[in-house]
Amino acid sequence: MAAPTEGLVPGVLEPAVVAPPPGEEGRLGRLRVLGGIWLPALLVAAIFFLCFVWPIIGPVPSPTGGSILNSNDPSFTPGHLFGTDATGNDEWSRLLYGGRASLEVALAVTAVGLIVGGTLGAFAGYVGGWRDGVIMRALDVLIAFPALVLAVAIAERLGPGELHAIWALSFFSVPAFGRLARAATLRVREQNFIAAARLSGTGHVRTLLRHVVPNILPELITFALLGMGIIIVLEGALSFLGLGIPPPAPSWGNMIAQGEGILSAQPKFVLLPSAALFITVVSFNLLGESMRARWTAR
Amino acid sequence: MTAPLLELDDLRVDFRQSGHVVRAVDGLSYQADKARTLALIGESGSGKTVSARAIMALLPDTARVTGSIRYEGTELVGLSERRMRALRGNQIAMVFQDPARSLNPTLRIGAQITEAIHIHRQVSKAEAHDRAVELMELVRLPAARERFRQYPHQLSGGMRQRVMIAIALAGDPRLLIADEATTALDVTTQAQIMELLRDLQERLGMALIMISHDLGLAASYADEVLVMYAGRAVERAATQTLFGHVRMPYTRALLGAIPRLENAPHTTLAAVPGQPPDLATQPPGCPFAPRCPEVTDKCRETAPPLAEQEPGHLWACWHPCGLEDSAAEEVAV
Amino acid sequence: MNELVLEVTDLVQEFILRDRGGGKAGVVHAVSGVSLELASGESLGLVGETGSGKSTLARAILQAPPPRSGSVRLRGVELVGLRGRRLIQARRHAQMVFQDPFGSLDPTWTVTRLVQEPLVAFRVGSAAERRRRAHELLELVGLDPVRYGNRRPRQLSGGQAQRVAIARALALDPSLIICDEAVSSLDVLIRAQVLNLLERLRTELHLAYLFIAHDLALVKQVSDRVAVMYLGKLVELGPAEALYRRPLHPYTVALLASIPSPDPEAPREPVTGTIRGEPPSPIDPPSGCRFRTRCPRAQDLCASQEPPMRQLADGHFAACHFPVNADAPAPEATAMSH
Repeated sequence: MAAPTEGLVPGVLEPAVVAPPPGEEGRLGRLRVLGGIWLPALLVAAIFFLCFVWPIIGPVPSPTGGSILNSNDPSFTPGHLFGTDATGNDEWSRLLYGGRASLEVALAVTAVGLIVGGTLGAFAGYVGGWRDGVIMRALDVLIAFPALVLAVAIAERLGPGELHAIWALSFFSVPAFGRLARAATLRVREQNFIAAARLSGTGHVRTLLRHVVPNILPELITFALLGMGIIIVLEGALSFLGLGIPPPAPSWGNMIAQGEGILSAQPKFVLLPSAALFITVVSFNLLGESMRARWTAR
Repeated sequence: MTAPLLELDDLRVDFRQSGHVVRAVDGLSYQADKARTLALIGESGSGKTVSARAIMALLPDTARVTGSIRYEGTELVGLSERRMRALRGNQIAMVFQDPARSLNPTLRIGAQITEAIHIHRQVSKAEAHDRAVELMELVRLPAARERFRQYPHQLSGGMRQRVMIAIALAGDPRLLIADEATTALDVTTQAQIMELLRDLQERLGMALIMISHDLGLAASYADEVLVMYAGRAVERAATQTLFGHVRMPYTRALLGAIPRLENAPHTTLAAVPGQPPDLATQPPGCPFAPRCPEVTDKCRETAPPLAEQEPGHLWACWHPCGLEDSAAEEVAV
Repeated sequence: MNELVLEVTDLVQEFILRDRGGGKAGVVHAVSGVSLELASGESLGLVGETGSGKSTLARAILQAPPPRSGSVRLRGVELVGLRGRRLIQARRHAQMVFQDPFGSLDPTWTVTRLVQEPLVAFRVGSAAERRRRAHELLELVGLDPVRYGNRRPRQLSGGQAQRVAIARALALDPSLIICDEAVSSLDVLIRAQVLNLLERLRTELHLAYLFIAHDLALVKQVSDRVAVMYLGKLVELGPAEALYRRPLHPYTVALLASIPSPDPEAPREPVTGTIRGEPPSPIDPPSGCRFRTRCPRAQDLCASQEPPMRQLADGHFAACHFPVNADAPAPEATAMSH
């Protein structure tokens, strides 16, 4: 089976670059492949498993309602891997449930951004004209605010709570996805296969749904993965400021906030959620990057 | 007979790609002489561009080069990057196919030419400026002084390519490699640029290697033609000789596939079936065997060597056109 | 008598150039009044270099985007002014094959789905019938539907991808196929294969072609008649053989001289005698005859008066005050339109 560049005159279509596609392999090639797509994917899967599935099937105690008699148990106490906090709640359980809350917010915000923002952006990019102008100006207004400031303002207005955090952060993700979807759509729209589809008699709606969307989806998904990391950190910041998920329900953000006061005495209460945050964000980033690399290598 | 300016001997270039090895150039040997034009003709995948970049050491890290490339006696394969840089652009220059991508869109063209001059010579700014204008006039760029301050996007494709040639000439190279330099240009511009290159060659005594897929171009402008297929040289001769009696069926196929003005409308072109070979999975035997109208079992088993079967005419084929089968086993080059 | 499949009259296409602030910075006169006709089963070659407007003309004929002015009649139906569903219906008899085989195929679709698309859009037959027809079409262009049907364009070679594009173009039994540099980006041997395929289809299916390319030899080989464009205008139009043996317009002469001949013995006239300088800009084309700035035969009249398209030989037209090879009467005496 011949490579796609076979049978083509160089320079007219393909850059006459010497290395055949795909995949960049150099001396670091092996290393890069290892870190490629499988490792981050595995990490992300593990994180989801731990935060969503394990608490249901495994021996994980409730994150709230601990007895004050058990308070401040050190790590490796039997039954409490990471010990307990000041009110007797199992730290490991708080980590897991806190992660669940953070991830729920991140997933929801990303989904809203992808669906609402993606649709608006793709539509705007495809139809152009005044409709494009109106939609983009509306999104521009939202994007003009620094994300965190806007999120804080909205959360302050609405009060703390998981749903409100999702609301506030969506104001940030919708225009972000919107811009990206529009830019990607503009690029795809210039391609001859769109013109060919129209010449074949395909209507606008079908062209948008069957040709444009599948071709912008990889880019959007890559962006979504990278965005997950950002949203998780933003949620952490909101919770840290007391505007996200309210205690006693744990979230990594409010855990860090609570641990801040006793940082020198018992650093683990800050270090553990921070480490969890770090690992999660890095995993999503790696996954997003490797998907982007794979996608652009084609 | 003077020593050749450039001599390739059994050049091989391999690429490591996701586990397997792709041999892009497989035992290429030729010579380029002063004031002569050699045309490297081949389609995509033939290895012509890879071999040219091997000369300039412009291949990515994934490439492994073996064999010999001697420039004026100096071995280029394995040469340190520092010494290569002294040669590159200075003694050996290259013009690429798409001037739009080779020129920096944010710099004025005068600046790009003077930059090239400064790299190879210690001159003052004023001297570099004058030399740049000289070069622009040499490549027949109209209104050279005015164009000096223009940006690439303000020039047409043909003019941009002239700028590329001016940059290439900035170091007074003895060897110029034109890699599909006119492919992206209009046919009238192409003719003008080719005439310019020939004219420059005569005046400056440069050796010129022109790489193309266009046999017609070779016929019109080259002294010697080397046809490549799947990384190998399959036929080589002086232009008149080659076109006078084509031996290798691939070359004959190339010639037959070119539309001629003399042909009546709706003439069927002599077309060979099949695709260019996948370099990653090369079976033994002649690479052209799957598509060759003259193929026999022998062709599929053993690859014919490139041999000088007639004076000044080399080819690699067991069943050349217009001849009895070659006795290539005896006379290997 | 062959009916006319395509009649183009005085087609004009322009683009507004915007400067960085969004204001109007100039107008690109891409096509400035082109007229031509194509009979059923006939093959018309359109040759021109970069900036000639030939690709823009093709798109304007197909109303993508619609031209500024002029008329396009496809099988007798006026296309200019039609929109939406009515345009799609009227236009179905014309199809296009593009230069970049991969750019014209959706990379996320399979080959069979791509070829079926026109049938789906026009609701032709049932799903099973469409599938069968798609397989027929693939076989017609020399691709085994079993081997290639489920592949994506990325898994095809350039020549194979172009065949898929051709198969798709044939799906609705068009009367006219516009090939816009359809073989220019293919390797020489593959190019010959695809050209032979196009030729075979032409005779088998009685198709009319508008064959656009910058290679005059290529165009001449596949066409009955050839039209030459320069900077938005038709400068010569005539039978392919006649255009080659007795070119009338100096630009055609220059094009012919520029073609590298694969015969080293052939005498080579340097091109510099036939054409000078660089192509002017289509934003500000020269007054009068647009070719005059590069023409070795230009005179004062060429700057002041635009030469009309005149018939100078049997079925052979040129727009030039001082044509080559013609026993044409002096320009002042002939004020007739074509």
